Amino acid sequence: MKHPIPLVLCAAVTLLLPAATHDGYIIQLLNISILNAIVVLGLNFATGWTGQINFGQAAFYGLGAYTTAIATKAGLPWITTPVLSALVVLVASLALGLPTLRLRTYYLAMTTIGFGEIVRLIIVHWEPVTGGTSGLRAIPGISVFGFGPQGQIQHYYLLVAALALAAFIGTRIRKSSLGRAMIATKDSEIAAEQSGVDTTRTKLLAFMIGAVYAGLAGCLYASSIRFISPDSFSGVQAILLMTMLIVGGMGSIIGCIIGAVALTILPEALRFLGQWYLVLYGLGVIAVIALAPGGLASIASVIRLRQAGGR
Amino acid sequence: MGQLVVNGLALGSIYALVALGLLLIFNTVQIVNFAQGQLLMLGAFIGISGAVTHELPVAIAWIVTMAAMALIGIVFMVLVYFPLRGRPPFLVILTTIAMGIVLENLALIIWGPLPVSLPSPVRGAPLRFAGVVISMHQLFIFATLAAILLLQFLLLTKTRFGILMQATAQDLHTARLVGIPVNRTIAVAFAFGAMLSGVAGLLVAPIFLAEPTMGGSLGLKGFVVSVIGGFGNLPGAVLGGLFLGLIETFGARYISSNFRDAYAFIVMIAVLVAWPRGLFGEKSSEKV
Repeated sequence: MKHPIPLVLCAAVTLLLPAATHDGYIIQLLNISILNAIVVLGLNFATGWTGQINFGQAAFYGLGAYTTAIATKAGLPWITTPVLSALVVLVASLALGLPTLRLRTYYLAMTTIGFGEIVRLIIVHWEPVTGGTSGLRAIPGISVFGFGPQGQIQHYYLLVAALALAAFIGTRIRKSSLGRAMIATKDSEIAAEQSGVDTTRTKLLAFMIGAVYAGLAGCLYASSIRFISPDSFSGVQAILLMTMLIVGGMGSIIGCIIGAVALTILPEALRFLGQWYLVLYGLGVIAVIALAPGGLASIASVIRLRQAGGR
Repeated sequence: MGQLVVNGLALGSIYALVALGLLLIFNTVQIVNFAQGQLLMLGAFIGISGAVTHELPVAIAWIVTMAAMALIGIVFMVLVYFPLRGRPPFLVILTTIAMGIVLENLALIIWGPLPVSLPSPVRGAPLRFAGVVISMHQLFIFATLAAILLLQFLLLTKTRFGILMQATAQDLHTARLVGIPVNRTIAVAFAFGAMLSGVAGLLVAPIFLAEPTMGGSLGLKGFVVSVIGGFGNLPGAVLGGLFLGLIETFGARYISSNFRDAYAFIVMIAVLVAWPRGLFGEKSSEKV
């Protein structure tokens, strides 16, 4: 453990947070921010580590959520939904990634935006199944052989555990040969190919692992928030997820979590600003990209370097 | 049938104009501006402020709008492009998207969320022949596109400025070394690019109503057109625009109008998979 004290402190705050508030709304907001953090961790595989822009992550999130909602409402046991959601996003990400991941930046940005828009239009217009723009309500909750979390606080701890698992798996993948191949692909595709890295395979795997993160987060979203609508998974959401990654710090697991939690809670805290919030938000994103390319996570490490007397 | 063709071409001309604005910026700095649609929306609203709120003659409102858009283009460049010069295009995509969010919400604050209409600068009874109705505004759209295409072609190929732009696009540092006023060239490209989307906004507002959120989808159509036509390809942008206008109009009529906005993306993904450089070829110095 490199930084045991901050880590223990973070864990303690995370675990005690629900005791500090009895406001259901705040816990709900925290739950959504944890789900977003899992999705952003997924986005980090393709974008943060492999360097491939991806605006399709919100659509994978939505595919997972809708698969789970539709399956449980049709009477399937909850335990099948993570598998079903993962399968659906695996097929979708393979179908999208296989032909498009060879494309350069702008084209990849556009095809993933297009994919998200097509998924959104299908959800909106396939009303008998998806509920159209009004979404699906009263989705059955998480239940494994009759056991499941009750109330928002139990859901909170479950989601924290899921996030911890997602972060742990992310760290393991980063340290594996696949993780090194991702970084190599990001740094220089040509050099990576020369060193025997199959960059197309690496990009595809990063993309698909990220999609599975989003699909499973979607599964948990549907069965813990228990209401879904297309707005939660639109192109706007895809851009928000991307900015969470950038503002938090691309390539940093802690950065992903900070970015997701901060940018999920901030709009609620700054609600009094009304429309001005989004104006400031846009300018803030530009400022972070221009001034702190490593995001909030890098600001912390810069401070640490200064304290250590380095430059 | 004939009517669908006319409507499709009119819609396609607007898409082509958005793509021409993108092209001007792309051909100079090799950057795709993801806020082009929001610039279009600003053009429409500035026109409305002039013609409707301040009751200026529509032609004057047009001139005021174009001047304002040129200025906005330069401010845009200073805020979004300059701080990120030489950084990966990936990041510039995000800053332009962020600027789009800023512009859209500023417009919501200034003009409110309700759709507004702008009168067309041309009046007169629509032309009819063989059962097809062509409104004067549609004719005006075609004429504007033709004029802008001609001007832009001359600008890019026959003038000193066109050569400066090409040199800047090919190699910014060398261009500066040989004494090309790089910053001025880029500023002119951004000013013209914003002006062109302003014109597209002025042309759209009389057909569809103007609202602050109109930019997102129109901007995306502009990229789809650029992809279909090949990025930076002038005739490709125009043909791609007209093609997309026809596809959407016919698709909405004969397949399903619910998926109107999906056709563009389906066509684009199909084109990218089959012809990665667009139907008419890409004009760019390859940067791998």
